[in-house]
Amino acid sequence: MQSTDPMVRILGLHHTYQSRDGQVPALVDINIEIQAGRFVVIVGPSGCGKSSLLMMMAGLLAPSQGTILCSGYPMTSPNPDVAGVVFQEASLYPWLTALENVEFPLSLRHIAKKVRKNKAQELLSLVGLQGFEDRYPHELSGGMKQRVSIARGLVQDPPLLMMDEPFAALDEQTRITMGDELLSIWEKTRKTVVFVTHSLTEAAYLADEIIVMSARPGRIIDRIEVDLPRPRKYEMMSTVRFAQLRERIWNQIKH
Amino acid sequence: MFLWQLLLSNQWVNPDLVPSVGGVLSSAEKILLSAAFHKHLYATLEHLALGFFIAVPTGVAIGILIAESRYWGQVLKPIIYLVFSIPKTVFLPMFILAFGIGLFQKIAFGIFSTIFIILICTFAAVDSVKSEHLKVARVFGASRLQIALRVYLPSMAPILLEAVRLGMIFNVTGIILAEMYASKVGLGQMIANWGENFMLKELGAGILIISVATILFNETIQWFEMKFEHWRE
Repeated sequence: MQSTDPMVRILGLHHTYQSRDGQVPALVDINIEIQAGRFVVIVGPSGCGKSSLLMMMAGLLAPSQGTILCSGYPMTSPNPDVAGVVFQEASLYPWLTALENVEFPLSLRHIAKKVRKNKAQELLSLVGLQGFEDRYPHELSGGMKQRVSIARGLVQDPPLLMMDEPFAALDEQTRITMGDELLSIWEKTRKTVVFVTHSLTEAAYLADEIIVMSARPGRIIDRIEVDLPRPRKYEMMSTVRFAQLRERIWNQIKH
Repeated sequence: MFLWQLLLSNQWVNPDLVPSVGGVLSSAEKILLSAAFHKHLYATLEHLALGFFIAVPTGVAIGILIAESRYWGQVLKPIIYLVFSIPKTVFLPMFILAFGIGLFQKIAFGIFSTIFIILICTFAAVDSVKSEHLKVARVFGASRLQIALRVYLPSMAPILLEAVRLGMIFNVTGIILAEMYASKVGLGQMIANWGENFMLKELGAGILIISVATILFNETIQWFEMKFEHWRE
C-alpha cells in the first residue's frame, strides 16, 4: 500500500432494503475517502443510515452495491487487523471482567495468556482504568464502560477505529470528558477514526472533517473541514467559529 | 412442624387423618433404612435420571434449532406454548395404552412432562442473547464455534440453569404421578399404596422424604446459579 492511498475508500455505495412496500432506498451514492490519521465524524439525523454505513465499513453488513476498501482490503467481512469497532453502551460482556473484555479479541486468536494480559493491561492504562482490571461491567460507570470498550477496540492495534455513537448513552458532562479523553488517546495513537453521531456539538468538537448526511434515504450533503486548532478546548464551544460550524450542519439537516 | 404438632395436640385437626410429628419422623427413619424402600428409591431415581438426562439436552438442542430458524420458530413456537398450557396429567392414560406400565412408560411420561418447559426456557435463553454481543464477536473475527461457546453459552447460562431447576420439578411431578397411577415399583407407587391402605404415618414420612429431596436439589441448583452468576447485577 502506498502512503498516498486513503485509509478508507468507499466507491459508488448504494443500499436498499426490502420492506412490505417493496424496495426502500436507505443509502444513495455514497463516496468517501479518508486519509490515514484523520478524525472523521459522520453526522446525520436518526434513521439516515449512518450507523448502517459504519456497519458496512466494519464488514458486518453487505451493501447492495458498491465497494468499501479499508487500508486496501475489501471489507466484505470483518477484518480485525484493519478495524477495531466501539459500539454503543452495553456491548461489553457482563460475565467478563474489564481486563477479560479487553483481552477478548486476542483470546479469539489464541494468543498466549500472558501476552494478551500484558497488552490488555497496557490498553486499560491508556484509557485511564488501571486498578479497575477485575471489575465487572455492572460495577463500572457508563463512561468507564465506554473506556473499556475503546481499549477493546484498540487492543489488536488496528490502523482504523470505528465508533458507532459511543457516547450517546452518557450524560452531558461525562460525554464532554470522554470526548477530551478520546482526543488525547487519538493524539497518542494516531489512529484513523471514523466516528458516527447525531450530536452536532460532538461532531464539531471532535472532527478534522465532518461528513453530513441527509435524512432517509441517506446521501452525503456536505463535507466540512474543521479548522478549529488542536488541541481542542472546552472554551472553543463558545467561539463564533464553533457556532458557525454547528449552524452550517444544522441548516443542512433540519429539513 | 411446631404448627403441625400444635394443631394436633389441641385436636384442631382429626388425629385419625393427620399422624403425629414423632410418628412420622420415626416412620421416616424406619423407611429410610428398609431394603424395600431402597428398591423403590432406586427405581424412581432411575426413572428420574433417564427422563431428565434425555429431556434436558434434547429440549435444549431442539429449542435452539427452533429459535434460530425463522420459519420453524414462527410455525412451532405458538404450538409449543399452547401444548405447554395443557396439564400433562390428562395424557397419562394414553401413555399407559401406548407404552404399558413399565420403565419405558415412566421415562416417556417424564420426558413429555419436562420437555415443554425446557423448550420454552430455551426460547427465552436464545432471545436473551444480545445482538450487540454477537456483533462484537463477529467484528473481532470470532468463528461460529467461538460465537457459540463464548457468546451464546454464557448469555444463555442463567436461563438454562433455571430451566434445569424447573425441568426437574416437572420431571419429578410427572414420574411420581406415573408411578402412583400404575406401577409395580417406585416411590410414587409406595405412597399411593400407603394412602390406599390408610398407613398415614408412612404416607407422611414418604411425603417428607420426597419433599426434602426435591428441595435439596432445588437449592443445589440455586447455589450453582449464585456461584456462576456473580457477574449479574
